[in-house]
Order: sequence, then C-alpha cells, then structure tokens
Amino acid sequence: MLPNFNYVRPATLSDAVRQLTPNARVHAGGTDLLGCLRDGVFTADTLVSLSAIEELRGIRPALDGGVAIGAMTTLTTVASDSRIAERYPALSRGVTAAASPQLRNQGTIGGNICQRPRCWYYRGEFQCARKGGEKCYAAEGENQFHCVFGGEVCFYVHPSDAAPALVALEAMVRIVGPSGARSVAADAFFVLPSKDYTRETVLGPGEIVTGIVLPAQPRGTYGTYRKVRARGAWDFALAGAAVVATIAEGRVGRVRIVLSGVAPIPWRVPEAERVLVGQRLSAKSAAKAAAAAVEGAEPLAQNAYKVDMLRGAVEEALLELA
Amino acid sequence: MRPPELYFIDGALPETPAPDDRPEPWTETRVVGSRRTRIDGFDRVSGAAVYPSDVLLPGMLYAAVLRCPHPQARVKKVDTSAAAKMPGVRAVITGATPAADLRWYYSRTVFTKLFDPACRFESEAVAAVAADTPQLAWDAVRAINVEYEVLPFVVDERAALAAGAPPVHDGGNRVAEPEKYSRGDVAKGFAEANTVLEASYRTATEIHCPTEPHGCVARWDGPRLTIWESTQGVYPVQQRVATSLEMPLANVRVIGSYMGGGFGSKLQADKYNLIAAALAKLTARPVKLFLTREETFLCVGNRPAANMKLKAGVRKDGTLTALELTVLGTGGAYPAGGTSLVDWLVRDLYTCPNVRTESTDVYTNAGPARAFRAPGHPQGAWALEQMMDALAEAIGIDPVDLRLKNISTVSQAREGQPPYTTTGLERCLTEGAKAFGWHEARKRPKGNGPVRRGVGMAAGLWIAGSGGPPSTVVVKLFADGSANLNMGASDIGTGTKTVMAMVVSEELGVPLEKIQIENADTGTTQYATASGGSKTVPTEAPAVRDAALKVKRQLLEIAAEELKAPVNELQIDGEAVVSRRDPKVRKKISELDGVRRRGLVLGVGTRGPNPEKKAVDPFVAQFCEVEVNERTGEVKVLRFLSANDSGRVMNRLTYDGQVIGGVTMGLGLALTEQRVLDRQTGKMVNRNWHDYKVPTAMDVPPEIASLPIEVPDNEANISGAKGLGEPVTIPTAAAVANAVYDATGVRVTESPISPMRLVALLAGKRAGR
Repeated sequence: MLPNFNYVRPATLSDAVRQLTPNARVHAGGTDLLGCLRDGVFTADTLVSLSAIEELRGIRPALDGGVAIGAMTTLTTVASDSRIAERYPALSRGVTAAASPQLRNQGTIGGNICQRPRCWYYRGEFQCARKGGEKCYAAEGENQFHCVFGGEVCFYVHPSDAAPALVALEAMVRIVGPSGARSVAADAFFVLPSKDYTRETVLGPGEIVTGIVLPAQPRGTYGTYRKVRARGAWDFALAGAAVVATIAEGRVGRVRIVLSGVAPIPWRVPEAERVLVGQRLSAKSAAKAAAAAVEGAEPLAQNAYKVDMLRGAVEEALLELA
Repeated sequence: MRPPELYFIDGALPETPAPDDRPEPWTETRVVGSRRTRIDGFDRVSGAAVYPSDVLLPGMLYAAVLRCPHPQARVKKVDTSAAAKMPGVRAVITGATPAADLRWYYSRTVFTKLFDPACRFESEAVAAVAADTPQLAWDAVRAINVEYEVLPFVVDERAALAAGAPPVHDGGNRVAEPEKYSRGDVAKGFAEANTVLEASYRTATEIHCPTEPHGCVARWDGPRLTIWESTQGVYPVQQRVATSLEMPLANVRVIGSYMGGGFGSKLQADKYNLIAAALAKLTARPVKLFLTREETFLCVGNRPAANMKLKAGVRKDGTLTALELTVLGTGGAYPAGGTSLVDWLVRDLYTCPNVRTESTDVYTNAGPARAFRAPGHPQGAWALEQMMDALAEAIGIDPVDLRLKNISTVSQAREGQPPYTTTGLERCLTEGAKAFGWHEARKRPKGNGPVRRGVGMAAGLWIAGSGGPPSTVVVKLFADGSANLNMGASDIGTGTKTVMAMVVSEELGVPLEKIQIENADTGTTQYATASGGSKTVPTEAPAVRDAALKVKRQLLEIAAEELKAPVNELQIDGEAVVSRRDPKVRKKISELDGVRRRGLVLGVGTRGPNPEKKAVDPFVAQFCEVEVNERTGEVKVLRFLSANDSGRVMNRLTYDGQVIGGVTMGLGLALTEQRVLDRQTGKMVNRNWHDYKVPTAMDVPPEIASLPIEVPDNEANISGAKGLGEPVTIPTAAAVANAVYDATGVRVTESPISPMRLVALLAGKRAGR
C-alpha cells in the first residue's frame, strides 16, 4: 500500500524547486518512485510532480549541432526519435533495451538516470547500510546480481541502460536547484558508494534534473549498446556495454567503452579504450579490449560469471562496430 | 408476441442409446474437436466477468494480515492497542481473540493454532485487521507491535539433516521415514548392463504466480457463511471451512465465480478463509481479504526443489536394465509432499525390470509446498530425460530410438501392472519427430562461431489425467431451445466451460451461443471435485454427455407419445423429431406439447466408473531447437513442438492453448525461475515479478507447435478424452536441457539454465574444468 503524502503539480520549474522541501520527492514517470514508496524503501511527505512543466518535455536541437532531451521525455519517445537513432545509436539502443513497453511509455529519461538501486536487499525488508542500517547484506549474501567493480560498503549495480550510453557519448546533465542552473558531465553525475553510500547522484537538496544535452559527434562516429539479461524483457542488465567510437580510415580514433550491470555507476574502462586507439576493429583487437575491460574485476561469492559474460558483451559490442 | 424459436443445428444428432446402454463413441462430430473460441471470452477480456477479487458488497471491510518476518520465531507478545484505537479500524484479531481460537491442520495430523506462537516460516500469520479501507487495514497492521524470540532456522533442504541443523519441529527435520519403492533386482540389472551412468540433478523451487492473487470475501447471514473464493474447487474449500468452524456443510456456501489461475495452488482452503470469516463475524460486515503479490510468493505454495541422484544401466541395443533414484526434497515447514511423485517417471515411464527409488522428505523453515502443475513430474523428467539423452549418446543411438526401444504397454509401477487403455507414446515420438524434422535437425551443423545451435527432445506421462467419479451435472433444455448447464467444477482458465458447452451442443444440436453455464457454487451447482490433476475434462465431459443424453431420451419419449410411434424408431434431426422408418412422421421440438407444458426438459448426468484393472494415462513427447551464445550464456529457444496423446481432442483451440501455456511454464522451469532465500536471514529476496522471473513474450519461441496424437480413449470414458493440462509441461525443461547439451556439450544438471549458470559452465569447459 502506498503511504499518505501530499501531491503538488507546479506549473513552473522555479515553483517545483521551491516546493522540493527536504522530505519531498520528485515525481517524473513514477515507475521507480511509486514502487519504492509502496515497498517502504523510503518515505515522502510531498511528491512534486513535474508533469505540468511543458519545457521539460521533448527533443530539440542544441547549440553546436548537439541534441537536447528534456528530462520528462519518455523512454519510448527517445527510442522512437529518428535523430537519436541515427546520431546516437548507443542511446537509442540503451533506452530500447530498458524495461518493457509499458514502463518505457511511462518512464522518463530524467527519471531513468535518477533510479534508486535495484538491489533486492535495498528494496526488501532489510535495514541495509544504504537505508541507515549497519551492513550491506549482499556482501555475504545472495549476490549473484551484484557488482564486480566499484563496490565498497554497498555492492549494488547501477540499473540504467541509458546512463552508460550517456557517459560514452559525453553527454551533459542539466540541473536546476535553489541556487540556479548548472550542468554536470554524465561521467561526473553518478556517485560511488566509497564516496557517499547514501546517494547515487550528485543532486543536492532541492535540485532537479531538467534535461540532457548530447554533444555533436565527429564524422565517422559509431555506437551501440549490448545488454545481457536473464529474461528477454523487463529485466535489468547482468552485464552490458555501451560503445561509442570514431573510426577514420579503418582505425579507431576516440573510443568510449562504458559498462552496465557490473558497478554501482556506469563503469568506464579506459584501459580497454587505450587498447583500441589506433587499431583496426577486429576479432583480435576486440578480444584484447574485452580482456582489458574485465581487468581488476573483484567478483563476490556468486557473481564470478559476470567476468566472462562481460568479456563476451564487450567483444560483441565492439565487433558490431567493426 | 413471436412464438418461441428453436436454434437447433441442422442434421441428425448422434444416436440416443437405450436407458441403460453405454453410448457409442462419437464418430463424425460436428462441434466436438473443432476450434471454438471461449464462450466467456468476451466477458473475460472486456472486464464484464466478475472475479472474486472484483467482488464489492455494501458495507464491506478490507482485511490485512500481519505476518511473521522471520523464518523461525516464537511470538512472545502482541500489542494491538494502538491499532485498535485507529479510526476506521473495526476489528483486530490475534491468537488471544476467542473468535480466532481455531485449529489449522497443515496435514491430517499436524496442526497449529490459526495464530500460533510458533512461526515456522516467513509469513506465518500472527494477527489480522479489518478496516474501512485497504490502506487503513495496512496502516493498522503496521501499528501492531509484536515481540518475537527470533530462533535459528534452516531453509536449505540439503542442510536440514546435518548434525546441529536447527530443528523445525521438536521431533527433528525428517517428515517421515524415507519412502521406498523397489521391483526386480537392481544390482543384477546393473551387472547385465553394457553401460552404467550416474549423475546428480537439481531443480529449483518454483512459485505458481497466478494472475489473480489468492483471497476471498466472507459474509455472514445469521448462521450462514458465504465465501467468494478464487479457487479451483468450491467443494474442498467448503469442506475445510465447515470442519474448521465446526459448522454444518449446508451453512457454508462457497461461490467460485470466475477465477484468475491457480496451477494447483488453489485446490484447498487457506488460513485466510478462517481469518476473513472471523473478522466478518466480529464486525457483522462482509470482509474482503486478498493477499498482496508478495504474500503469494511466501505462504500459498510452491513447487519444491528436488535433489535427485540417478543411476541407469542400459544394454548396447538400448534395453534398459536398471534404474536407481534417490530424492531429497522438502515441503517446507509442514508435511506437504516435498518429494511427492518425483520418482514416478523413473518407476513407470519406460520398460525396466529392475527399479529402486528412495525419497527423503525433510522440514525446512519455508512456506509449505502445494500441488504445482504435474506435481513431481517435471522434476523427475529433468533427471530421467537428461539421463536417457546421456545413455543414448553413450551407446551411440538416437535419443528417440532409445525411448522407442523401451515403451511399456502396462503401468509397471501400479499394483498388478495393469495395461494402459491406450498409449500413444510411440506415435508421439515417431510422429512428433517427423513433424519436427528431428533427424534432419540433428544432422545440421551446430555452427563454428560463438552462437551454437542444438536440438533436444524428452518424453513423459502423467500419473493422473483419467478423471473419474464422482460428478453430477444437470442440463436443462428450455422450450425455446436454449440450454443451461449446471456444473460444480471450476473453469480455472483452461476453457472447461467451453468444452462442456460443446458436448451439450454436440448431443442436443443447441448452438454454443444459446448455452449458458453456471459458475461453480456450492449453493447452486452440483458436487464436483476440484479442477486439478488434468482430470476436469475427462471427469466432467462424460457427465455432461450423460446429462445431455438423458435430455434427448426424454425428448424422444415425449415425441413418441405425441407421434404415436415407438421411441427406438425416432431420432432428432435439426429442429424436429423424425421417424427413421417414415420421414413424414415428424414433429418440431418447439411444437411438442410435452416440452411446452413442462417448461424445460431436465437431464441429470453422472460420471460412470473407470475401467477396472486398467491404467489411463496421457503421454507426451516434446522437441525443441535452441541457440546458445557461448560468449554470454544466453539461450534462445527457436522452436518447440509438443506431441500429445490426451485421447480425443475436445476443442482444438483451447487444446493448443494448454500446449502453449504448459510449454511456456516449462520454459520458466528450464530457463528463468527460481526462488531465492537469503542464507543470512532465511528470507525470500525475490518476492515480486521482476526479481522472480516468469517468462515474458520475449522468452518463448515464435513457434510452439501442437501436434495432437488423437487416439480417442473410448474405454476410459464416454468422451474419449484424457487429461492434457499437466502432461504438456512435464518434459519441457528436460528437452531444453538436452538441446543446450547438443549445442554446447555442456550438461546443465541444475535448473534454471540461466545465462549466469551457463556462462560459468562454458568458461569451465573451456578451461578444462
């Protein structure tokens, strides 16, 4: 059962920011928020709906040939946008791989990158560290779906399929808060548990994600997203990889490889990228990069499989661009 | 006013036998066997059908149950004072409430109190609330303060018998002495074999996941209790509730209405029935108590995990010489058949003179098991059918041929080894293989890249599926030619009502749209056993046919009087009764004074006995093709074929629906489903449809072919049908495992074949582990 809360639907961003008091929560699509409230993961006095703020919806050209996506744009809208599909296929595939059609119709791109952890301890009747308890239950418990990189105190994996693509595309996240607007690189938007295990993003009190800006991509830039999951739909990544590469004269120039399903944040693997720079994309170089991508993985008791799976996912993503 | 119209289908109806004669089997049928959409399909999909969870009564309250959050604990103190004071809360009951001081029997002999201080599994009931709204009820539940003594627990059945394992019950963790079965001499059988293989297998615990959660609405009218219940059987619920409340059966009415799935988990009453009844009594208002989805994962049943060790001996010509199986299982915290029927296929599917099985059922601190679509059989098939595959490879013969070599015409494990009335297993195997293109598919290359292709097959039988007495059915033919069918069996979503209407239509010529069927209701419909065991069609269809024949017989008798012709000379042809000797001697049914005077013609049908000293089992063989990505462990089922001998096909459309549904459920066992209990706390961590992964549309192949091997079983009953709903899911998971082996050379002996498990096994294989 949902608990009691007040519900406000401001017409302007500034009003929304003003209403976002300490125990208020932003309501975008609600696919994540309402589940958390129903399951008692956290409470809220007030929900601040963003649904009446028209400027947060839609996909528009941005300065310097980029594209701006309003935070309230649904995943379905992003997935079916031809500009995104042509110029940012990694993102297009990421949002298409998320959830199920109904959830994509309701869920927003802004909400997608602000999801709370999907860890079954965090979502369940367990007073875990992230909820103010004393320990992470996954560390010694049922951790087959937990992280192999970046775990410390808390071992969840970031649930978003869009976020790895946004990091790979060097997108900017636009934020509005009590002290005005700011932009943060997608790469810097997510917070590792070692830094602060009580939150997942850099959003401060009263701050709201208003949109995402995708920079123009150089000619010859290709991208994709490969997701491995336990079920064909309505499932989060077990392991995945977003790849964006600029290829000139058959050789890799700039390349970004960002992993999903294996770390508490979209996990960029610069070592794997370095392996590829200046190389032709081939079975051999892809295998080498994939091996580099899993270097340093620290599996828990039940998720060593992720290392092999991840290697496979990276390899397949790279070969798709070859 | 228009005269009453008749809606009879044209043409002669099947012969009407003399009163005590067994009717001839149907030969040419006009309705039975065709493809018919469900007579209540529009009501179901449009929302017009009222399910028990839709029931809203004036003044109705909503109930919620406080459940123990620990797998093993003792309730020391329950403080309801804050909850009871909340506005809108109408009743709070606990173990201290006199009206709730009731016994709950978990088995014939093992009982607890309705709210017992000893909580032996997570979600055992501790207290309950009735309030004006569901929200208030849950707020009140949260306001109840319970002091628990949290006790050590055991949730893994493999650890339950270890020294020092926490006892679930005072007497320890064995439910009973191991169940043993033996025939022939196993040691001798293994000595005679050319090849002996031994392997261990395990299937994970599965949850039923019906669309409609479990629950009821309870209302008292003086001494009478009415319960609207989402159930597979209104009569078993009535029986249990009446016994528990020490009430006459006549005072407990259970209304089944429509229901949204059960798969075996709704064959019985539940504690929530007594809780709702107690709350309704105390508040003198109707009370609705439906479980949340999370609760349905914990306390209303599961298909228990099976740990199986199987040793098999075979001669080089493919003759099985010995089978030896040991099973370890758990029905959870109370006796619930934790190993029930797991060994049946090893005992009975293939000809084998020397068989020994031993099953050990243990207690664990987890929710009690319940029947789950073909109890025990898919687990047993997972072991036996993978073993058959391995034996075939070891002796170098085709897996289909190995099975053909060992087909039995008698049920070897039943007392006296009775012959089967019919066995279509050979045809399921040969015709299934042909339709699937098995031999060609086996020869196709598996691929050199990371994506490998493979094919697999498996077979099975189902121990029940004969149906049998008792069943009583009433058919009323009204003077306008429309008919009403009154049957106490629930349509659990399988299309039972449609099949029964087709039987009436076949015999009486009444079009389906003129047939109305009552939903199961102990107050108005006749006695029937619960719809389970794949026995509903073979139980009810003969009774319905019998009732329709009795209506026909009376029509002919009425006509004989009015036409002054002998009864045995008359037949029904379209809308008229006609003399076979002289077509001019005829009268329209609508013009029969006898029918108009009575208003209707009523036929009471019953289910006759099953044949003596015979076994009636359905058989199945399934074939599938898979693609495995060896880099990631992903398995894609490309196509699937199920060849079923379930006797006569009653409705080809709902028949295929059962095949597709059963295969889909089997794919869940094969690939995605498993209950996960936290080793630290004993609590279930995947109690929702996201973390507990039932297959989605993206997980089933675009093509699931249904190939009926139609051998009408006229000896079994007068409909010729055997059960279908369960056999379709028995060999599915094993067939997939065999296909994965064919593709990769990796034998996955533990379910599910998830990418997590498979990618690790593939990596192990590459590393030579």
